[in-house]
Amino acid sequence: MKKLPVISLMIALVAIAIAGNARTNSTDVPAPPAIGATIVDFTLPDADGKDHSLNSLKGKNGTVLIFIAVQCPVSNAYNERMEKLAQDYKARGISVVGMNPNSTEPAADVKKHAEENKLTFPILKDNGNKIADSLGATRTPETYFLDANNKLVYHGRIDNSRDVSQVNSSELRDALEATLAGKPVAKTTANAFGCSIKRA
Amino acid sequence: MSLLMTDAVKGKLVLFVVLGVVACVGSLLPTVSSAAQSPTARTARMGRKSHVARAVKRSVRARAINAEEMQGLLKRDGSHPLLVNYWATWCDPCRDEFPDLVKIDKQYRAKGLDFIAITLDDLADINTAVPKFLREMKATMPVYLLNVADPEPAITSVDREWGGALPATFLYNNKGEVVYKHFGRIKADELREAIEKVIDNKQRECHP
Repeated sequence: MKKLPVISLMIALVAIAIAGNARTNSTDVPAPPAIGATIVDFTLPDADGKDHSLNSLKGKNGTVLIFIAVQCPVSNAYNERMEKLAQDYKARGISVVGMNPNSTEPAADVKKHAEENKLTFPILKDNGNKIADSLGATRTPETYFLDANNKLVYHGRIDNSRDVSQVNSSELRDALEATLAGKPVAKTTANAFGCSIKRA
Repeated sequence: MSLLMTDAVKGKLVLFVVLGVVACVGSLLPTVSSAAQSPTARTARMGRKSHVARAVKRSVRARAINAEEMQGLLKRDGSHPLLVNYWATWCDPCRDEFPDLVKIDKQYRAKGLDFIAITLDDLADINTAVPKFLREMKATMPVYLLNVADPEPAITSVDREWGGALPATFLYNNKGEVVYKHFGRIKADELREAIEKVIDNKQRECHP
Protein backbone atom coordinates (compact mmCIF):
# COMPACT_ATOMS: atom_id res chain seq x y z
CA MET A 1 0.00 0.00 0.00
CA LYS A 2 2.86 2.32 0.84
CA LYS A 3 4.20 1.93 -2.67
CA LEU A 4 1.10 3.41 -4.30
CA PRO A 5 1.88 7.10 -3.71
CA VAL A 6 5.46 6.51 -4.88
CA ILE A 7 4.25 4.88 -8.10
CA SER A 8 1.71 7.67 -8.66
CA LEU A 9 4.45 10.23 -8.17
CA MET A 10 6.71 8.41 -10.64
CA ILE A 11 3.91 8.28 -13.25
CA ALA A 12 3.27 11.99 -12.71
CA LEU A 13 6.98 12.79 -13.10
CA VAL A 14 7.21 10.76 -16.30
CA ALA A 15 4.14 12.55 -17.67
CA ILE A 16 5.68 15.93 -16.79
CA ALA A 17 8.96 14.91 -18.40
CA ILE A 18 7.17 13.88 -21.62
CA ALA A 19 5.11 17.07 -21.70
CA GLY A 20 8.23 19.11 -20.92
CA ASN A 21 10.17 17.52 -23.75
CA ALA A 22 7.39 18.20 -26.20
CA ARG A 23 7.63 21.90 -25.37
CA THR A 24 11.41 22.22 -25.57
CA ASN A 25 11.65 21.73 -29.29
CA SER A 26 10.14 24.27 -31.61
CA THR A 27 11.43 22.57 -34.74
CA ASP A 28 8.88 20.79 -36.88
CA VAL A 29 11.23 18.64 -38.94
CA PRO A 30 10.46 14.93 -38.56
CA ALA A 31 13.26 12.60 -37.44
CA PRO A 32 15.28 11.08 -40.30
CA PRO A 33 14.65 7.43 -41.24
CA ALA A 34 16.78 4.90 -39.37
CA ILE A 35 19.84 3.41 -41.01
CA GLY A 36 18.64 0.27 -42.80
CA ALA A 37 15.21 1.75 -43.63
CA THR A 38 14.06 1.50 -47.25
CA ILE A 39 13.50 4.86 -48.92
CA VAL A 40 10.23 4.84 -50.81
CA ASP A 41 10.42 5.88 -54.48
CA PHE A 42 9.54 9.53 -55.13
CA THR A 43 9.25 11.84 -58.12
CA LEU A 44 10.51 15.42 -58.36
CA PRO A 45 10.99 17.83 -61.26
CA ASP A 46 14.42 18.98 -62.44
CA ALA A 47 15.17 22.68 -63.03
CA ASP A 48 13.45 22.46 -66.44
CA GLY A 49 10.29 21.07 -64.88
CA LYS A 50 10.81 17.52 -66.19
CA ASP A 51 9.85 14.84 -63.66
CA HIS A 52 12.29 12.14 -62.54
CA SER A 53 11.67 9.31 -60.13
CA LEU A 54 14.32 8.08 -57.70
CA ASN A 55 14.15 4.65 -59.38
CA SER A 56 14.79 6.16 -62.82
CA LEU A 57 17.96 7.91 -61.55
CA LYS A 58 19.35 5.29 -59.17
CA GLY A 59 22.65 3.55 -59.88
CA LYS A 60 22.87 -0.22 -60.05
CA ASN A 61 25.09 -0.18 -56.95
CA GLY A 62 23.46 2.68 -55.10
CA THR A 63 22.46 6.33 -55.07
CA VAL A 64 23.78 9.38 -53.24
CA LEU A 65 21.11 12.00 -52.54
CA ILE A 66 22.55 15.41 -51.63
CA PHE A 67 20.49 18.37 -50.44
CA ILE A 68 22.25 21.35 -51.95
CA ALA A 69 21.71 25.10 -52.11
CA VAL A 70 22.33 28.01 -54.44
CA GLN A 71 23.29 30.56 -51.81
CA CYS A 72 24.70 28.54 -48.90
CA PRO A 73 28.47 29.10 -48.65
CA VAL A 74 28.98 25.67 -47.07
CA SER A 75 27.12 23.90 -49.88
CA ASN A 76 29.02 26.01 -52.42
CA ALA A 77 32.35 25.08 -50.81
CA TYR A 78 31.48 21.49 -51.77
CA ASN A 79 30.51 22.10 -55.44
CA GLU A 80 33.76 20.71 -56.84
CA ARG A 81 33.83 17.81 -54.40
CA MET A 82 30.22 16.87 -55.25
CA GLU A 83 30.93 16.97 -58.99
CA LYS A 84 34.09 14.89 -58.52
CA LEU A 85 32.13 12.38 -56.45
CA ALA A 86 29.58 12.04 -59.26
CA GLN A 87 32.35 11.57 -61.86
CA ASP A 88 34.37 9.13 -59.73
CA TYR A 89 31.47 6.78 -59.02
CA LYS A 90 29.47 7.00 -62.28
CA ALA A 91 31.45 4.16 -63.86
CA ARG A 92 31.22 2.15 -60.64
CA GLY A 93 27.41 2.10 -60.67
CA ILE A 94 26.63 4.74 -58.05
CA SER A 95 24.73 7.83 -59.13
CA VAL A 96 24.68 11.23 -57.45
CA VAL A 97 21.41 13.18 -57.34
CA GLY A 98 21.24 16.74 -56.04
CA MET A 99 18.06 18.14 -54.52
CA ASN A 100 17.38 21.80 -53.80
CA PRO A 101 14.83 22.12 -50.96
CA ASN A 102 15.04 25.88 -50.34
CA SER A 103 11.78 27.76 -50.85
CA THR A 104 13.88 30.91 -51.43
CA GLU A 105 15.65 29.42 -54.48
CA PRO A 106 13.42 28.93 -57.56
CA ALA A 107 14.15 26.43 -60.35
CA ALA A 108 15.64 29.14 -62.60
CA ASP A 109 18.26 29.95 -59.93
CA VAL A 110 19.02 26.24 -59.48
CA LYS A 111 19.60 25.87 -63.23
CA LYS A 112 21.84 28.94 -63.45
CA HIS A 113 23.82 27.86 -60.38
CA ALA A 114 24.42 24.36 -61.80
CA GLU A 115 25.62 25.82 -65.11
CA GLU A 116 27.92 28.36 -63.46
CA ASN A 117 29.45 25.76 -61.18
CA LYS A 118 29.62 23.04 -63.87
CA LEU A 119 27.50 20.59 -61.88
CA THR A 120 26.62 17.84 -64.35
CA PHE A 121 24.72 15.45 -62.06
CA PRO A 122 20.91 15.78 -62.02
CA ILE A 123 19.53 18.38 -59.60
CA LEU A 124 15.88 18.14 -58.64
CA LYS A 125 13.74 20.87 -57.16
CA ASP A 126 12.14 19.67 -53.93
CA ASN A 127 9.17 22.02 -54.03
CA GLY A 128 7.54 22.45 -50.64
CA ASN A 129 10.55 20.54 -49.17
CA LYS A 130 8.44 17.36 -49.17
CA ILE A 131 11.37 14.99 -49.61
CA ALA A 132 13.52 16.98 -47.16
CA ASP A 133 10.69 16.47 -44.66
CA SER A 134 10.33 12.75 -45.34
CA LEU A 135 14.12 12.29 -44.99
CA GLY A 136 14.37 14.58 -41.96
CA ALA A 137 16.95 16.79 -43.70
CA THR A 138 17.82 20.02 -41.87
CA ARG A 139 20.80 21.56 -43.65
CA THR A 140 22.78 21.94 -46.85
CA PRO A 141 24.82 20.04 -47.74
CA GLU A 142 23.36 16.89 -46.22
CA THR A 143 23.69 13.48 -47.85
CA TYR A 144 21.88 10.13 -47.87
CA PHE A 145 23.51 7.09 -49.41
CA LEU A 146 21.09 4.36 -50.50
CA ASP A 147 22.30 0.92 -51.52
CA ALA A 148 21.15 -0.91 -54.67
CA ASN A 149 17.83 -1.72 -52.93
CA ASN A 150 17.24 1.89 -51.78
CA LYS A 151 18.12 0.99 -48.21
CA LEU A 152 19.67 3.86 -46.28
CA VAL A 153 23.24 2.92 -45.37
CA TYR A 154 24.76 6.34 -44.58
CA HIS A 155 23.33 9.74 -43.59
CA GLY A 156 25.26 12.90 -42.89
CA ARG A 157 28.15 15.00 -44.05
CA ILE A 158 30.39 14.59 -47.09
CA ASP A 159 33.55 14.99 -45.00
CA ASN A 160 34.79 16.80 -41.89
CA SER A 161 35.59 20.25 -43.28
CA ARG A 162 34.19 22.77 -45.71
CA ASP A 163 37.81 23.86 -46.15
CA VAL A 164 39.17 21.23 -48.54
CA SER A 165 42.72 21.63 -47.17
CA GLN A 166 41.49 20.55 -43.70
CA VAL A 167 39.76 17.34 -44.78
CA ASN A 168 41.05 14.27 -42.97
CA SER A 169 37.95 12.07 -42.84
CA SER A 170 35.61 11.39 -45.76
CA GLU A 171 32.71 9.47 -44.29
CA LEU A 172 30.54 9.52 -47.45
CA ARG A 173 33.29 8.10 -49.70
CA ASP A 174 34.15 5.56 -47.00
CA ALA A 175 30.50 4.41 -47.02
CA LEU A 176 30.49 4.12 -50.83
CA GLU A 177 33.74 2.14 -50.86
CA ALA A 178 32.55 -0.22 -48.11
CA THR A 179 29.28 -0.87 -49.93
CA LEU A 180 31.03 -1.48 -53.26
CA ALA A 181 33.33 -3.94 -51.47
CA GLY A 182 30.32 -5.72 -49.98
CA LYS A 183 31.32 -4.70 -46.46
CA PRO A 184 29.19 -3.03 -43.77
CA VAL A 185 29.59 0.74 -43.42
CA ALA A 186 31.70 1.49 -40.32
CA LYS A 187 30.38 4.99 -39.64
CA THR A 188 26.74 5.32 -40.66
CA THR A 189 26.14 8.94 -39.57
CA ALA A 190 28.31 12.03 -39.13
CA ASN A 191 27.31 15.64 -38.56
CA ALA A 192 28.76 18.93 -39.73
CA PHE A 193 27.75 22.56 -39.57
CA GLY A 194 25.71 23.74 -42.52
CA CYS A 195 22.99 26.14 -43.62
CA SER A 196 19.44 25.59 -42.39
CA ILE A 197 17.07 24.46 -45.13
CA LYS A 198 14.73 27.36 -45.94
CA ARG A 199 11.44 25.54 -45.58
CA ALA A 200 8.24 26.73 -47.22
CA MET B 1 24.83 23.66 20.71
CA SER B 2 26.39 27.10 20.43
CA LEU B 3 28.36 26.37 23.62
CA LEU B 4 30.13 23.57 21.77
CA MET B 5 31.15 25.76 18.85
CA THR B 6 34.61 27.11 18.68
CA ASP B 7 35.06 30.65 17.38
CA ALA B 8 36.57 29.23 14.21
CA VAL B 9 33.47 27.12 13.53
CA LYS B 10 31.18 30.08 14.25
CA GLY B 11 33.24 32.20 11.89
CA LYS B 12 32.91 29.61 9.16
CA LEU B 13 29.14 29.41 9.71
CA VAL B 14 28.72 33.19 9.50
CA LEU B 15 30.87 33.26 6.36
CA PHE B 16 28.78 30.44 4.87
CA VAL B 17 25.48 32.29 5.52
CA VAL B 18 26.88 35.58 4.18
CA LEU B 19 28.22 33.87 1.08
CA GLY B 20 24.84 32.21 0.54
CA VAL B 21 23.02 35.55 0.67
CA VAL B 22 25.60 37.18 -1.62
CA ALA B 23 25.31 34.30 -4.10
CA CYS B 24 21.51 34.55 -4.07
CA VAL B 25 21.43 38.33 -4.52
CA GLY B 26 24.27 38.08 -7.03
CA SER B 27 22.26 35.70 -9.16
CA LEU B 28 19.60 38.39 -9.60
CA LEU B 29 22.12 40.98 -10.72
CA PRO B 30 23.69 41.04 -14.16
CA THR B 31 26.81 38.94 -14.54
CA VAL B 32 29.49 40.66 -12.54
CA SER B 33 33.03 39.41 -12.50
CA SER B 34 34.32 38.43 -9.06
CA ALA B 35 36.57 41.50 -8.97
CA ALA B 36 33.56 43.78 -9.53
CA GLN B 37 31.40 42.17 -6.81
CA SER B 38 31.04 44.34 -3.77
CA PRO B 39 29.09 44.11 -0.50
CA THR B 40 27.64 47.60 -0.87
CA ALA B 41 24.89 48.49 -3.28
CA ARG B 42 26.79 51.54 -4.51
CA THR B 43 29.88 49.68 -5.57
CA ALA B 44 27.72 46.88 -6.97
CA ARG B 45 26.06 49.42 -9.24
CA MET B 46 29.43 50.76 -10.29
CA GLY B 47 30.60 47.22 -10.92
CA ARG B 48 27.59 46.60 -13.11
CA LYS B 49 28.31 49.69 -15.17
CA SER B 50 31.95 48.81 -15.67
CA HIS B 51 30.91 45.26 -16.52
CA VAL B 52 28.61 46.54 -19.27
CA ALA B 53 31.39 48.79 -20.55
CA ARG B 54 33.76 45.83 -20.59
CA ALA B 55 31.18 43.64 -22.28
CA VAL B 56 30.75 46.12 -25.13
CA LYS B 57 34.49 46.34 -25.57
CA ARG B 58 35.04 42.61 -25.26
CA SER B 59 32.21 41.42 -27.50
CA VAL B 60 33.64 42.92 -30.66
CA ARG B 61 36.34 40.29 -30.43
CA ALA B 62 35.54 36.60 -30.36
CA ARG B 63 37.75 34.22 -28.41
CA ALA B 64 38.72 30.93 -30.07
CA ILE B 65 37.78 27.86 -28.05
CA ASN B 66 38.01 24.11 -28.54
CA ALA B 67 35.21 21.58 -27.97
CA GLU B 68 36.25 20.95 -24.35
CA GLU B 69 36.22 24.65 -23.53
CA MET B 70 32.80 24.94 -25.16
CA GLN B 71 31.42 22.18 -22.93
CA GLY B 72 32.83 24.05 -19.93
CA LEU B 73 30.96 27.20 -20.98
CA LEU B 74 27.67 25.29 -21.17
CA LYS B 75 27.97 24.00 -17.59
CA ARG B 76 25.82 25.73 -14.97
CA ASP B 77 26.60 26.17 -11.29
CA GLY B 78 22.99 26.75 -10.22
CA SER B 79 23.01 30.55 -10.41
CA HIS B 80 22.06 31.74 -13.90
CA PRO B 81 20.11 30.31 -16.81
CA LEU B 82 22.05 30.38 -20.08
CA LEU B 83 21.10 31.21 -23.66
CA VAL B 84 23.44 29.94 -26.38
CA ASN B 85 23.25 30.89 -30.04
CA TYR B 86 25.32 29.10 -32.69
CA TRP B 87 25.84 31.26 -35.75
CA ALA B 88 28.26 32.33 -38.48
CA THR B 89 28.75 35.48 -40.54
CA TRP B 90 28.23 33.38 -43.71
CA CYS B 91 24.79 32.27 -42.50
CA ASP B 92 22.01 34.59 -43.71
CA PRO B 93 19.30 33.62 -41.18
CA CYS B 94 21.94 34.00 -38.43
CA ARG B 95 22.61 37.57 -39.55
CA ASP B 96 18.88 38.24 -39.87
CA GLU B 97 18.08 37.11 -36.33
CA PHE B 98 21.08 38.74 -34.63
CA PRO B 99 19.44 42.14 -33.94
CA ASP B 100 16.69 40.31 -32.04
CA LEU B 101 19.30 38.44 -30.02
CA VAL B 102 21.13 41.67 -29.14
CA LYS B 103 17.80 43.10 -27.94
CA ILE B 104 17.10 39.97 -25.90
CA ASP B 105 20.57 40.17 -24.34
CA LYS B 106 20.00 43.80 -23.33
CA GLN B 107 16.53 43.03 -22.03
CA TYR B 108 17.36 39.97 -19.92
CA ARG B 109 21.01 40.16 -18.85
CA ALA B 110 20.05 42.51 -15.99
CA LYS B 111 17.40 39.98 -14.97
CA GLY B 112 19.99 37.24 -14.58
CA LEU B 113 20.22 35.62 -18.02
CA ASP B 114 23.68 34.67 -19.24
CA PHE B 115 23.99 34.72 -23.02
CA ILE B 116 26.88 33.54 -25.15
CA ALA B 117 27.13 33.45 -28.92
CA ILE B 118 29.32 30.77 -30.51
CA THR B 119 30.38 31.39 -34.09
CA LEU B 120 31.35 28.67 -36.55
CA ASP B 121 33.26 31.07 -38.76
CA ASP B 122 36.74 30.13 -39.89
CA LEU B 123 39.56 30.99 -37.53
CA ALA B 124 40.91 33.21 -40.34
CA ASP B 125 37.89 35.50 -39.86
CA ILE B 126 38.30 35.99 -36.10
CA ASN B 127 39.90 39.42 -36.44
CA THR B 128 38.06 40.55 -39.59
CA ALA B 129 34.54 39.48 -40.58
CA VAL B 130 33.48 38.43 -37.07
CA PRO B 131 34.30 41.65 -35.12
CA LYS B 132 33.08 43.74 -38.06
CA PHE B 133 29.67 42.06 -37.89
CA LEU B 134 29.53 42.26 -34.07
CA ARG B 135 30.32 45.97 -34.19
CA GLU B 136 27.57 46.54 -36.76
CA MET B 137 25.16 44.66 -34.51
CA LYS B 138 26.33 46.53 -31.37
CA ALA B 139 26.58 43.10 -29.78
CA THR B 140 27.04 43.00 -26.02
CA MET B 141 27.20 39.28 -25.26
CA PRO B 142 30.47 37.33 -24.98
CA VAL B 143 31.31 35.70 -28.32
CA TYR B 144 33.43 32.61 -28.89
CA LEU B 145 34.66 30.98 -32.08
CA LEU B 146 34.55 27.19 -32.01
CA ASN B 147 37.76 26.06 -33.64
CA VAL B 148 37.66 22.30 -34.24
CA ALA B 149 39.07 20.09 -36.98
CA ASP B 150 36.10 17.74 -36.69
CA PRO B 151 32.74 19.32 -35.76
CA GLU B 152 30.98 15.99 -35.11
CA PRO B 153 31.84 15.49 -31.39
CA ALA B 154 30.97 19.11 -30.56
CA ILE B 155 27.59 18.96 -32.33
CA THR B 156 26.67 15.63 -30.73
CA SER B 157 27.72 16.83 -27.27
CA VAL B 158 25.37 19.82 -27.52
CA ASP B 159 22.25 17.95 -28.64
CA ARG B 160 21.58 14.56 -30.19
CA GLU B 161 18.75 15.96 -32.31
CA TRP B 162 20.96 18.65 -33.82
CA GLY B 163 22.63 17.84 -37.11
CA GLY B 164 24.64 21.07 -37.24
CA ALA B 165 22.20 23.32 -39.14
CA LEU B 166 22.77 27.01 -38.39
CA PRO B 167 21.51 29.00 -36.66
CA ALA B 168 20.67 26.94 -33.57
CA THR B 169 19.59 28.35 -30.22
CA PHE B 170 19.47 26.58 -26.86
CA LEU B 171 18.18 27.81 -23.50
CA TYR B 172 19.45 26.07 -20.35
CA ASN B 173 18.02 26.48 -16.86
CA ASN B 174 20.38 27.19 -13.97
CA LYS B 175 20.93 23.45 -13.54
CA GLY B 176 22.23 23.16 -17.10
CA GLU B 177 19.18 21.35 -18.49
CA VAL B 178 17.92 22.32 -21.96
CA VAL B 179 14.48 23.89 -21.50
CA TYR B 180 14.06 25.28 -25.02
CA LYS B 181 15.75 24.81 -28.37
CA HIS B 182 15.21 26.11 -31.84
CA PHE B 183 16.90 25.24 -35.13
CA GLY B 184 16.75 27.90 -37.85
CA ARG B 185 15.85 31.56 -37.45
CA ILE B 186 14.47 32.27 -33.98
CA LYS B 187 10.92 33.30 -33.25
CA ALA B 188 11.70 36.17 -30.85
CA ASP B 189 8.34 36.07 -29.01
CA GLU B 190 8.57 32.32 -28.44
CA LEU B 191 12.15 32.67 -27.16
CA ARG B 192 11.19 35.54 -24.83
CA GLU B 193 8.36 33.42 -23.42
CA ALA B 194 10.79 30.58 -22.68
CA ILE B 195 13.27 32.99 -21.06
CA GLU B 196 10.56 34.53 -18.86
CA LYS B 197 9.68 31.07 -17.58
CA VAL B 198 13.23 30.09 -16.76
CA ILE B 199 13.95 33.43 -15.05
CA ASP B 200 10.81 33.10 -12.93
CA ASN B 201 11.86 29.61 -11.87
CA LYS B 202 15.24 30.87 -10.79
CA GLN B 203 13.76 33.63 -8.65
CA ARG B 204 11.40 31.20 -6.94
CA GLU B 205 14.32 28.98 -6.05
CA CYS B 206 16.20 31.95 -4.65
CA HIS B 207 13.30 33.08 -2.44
CA PRO B 208 11.57 29.93 -1.26
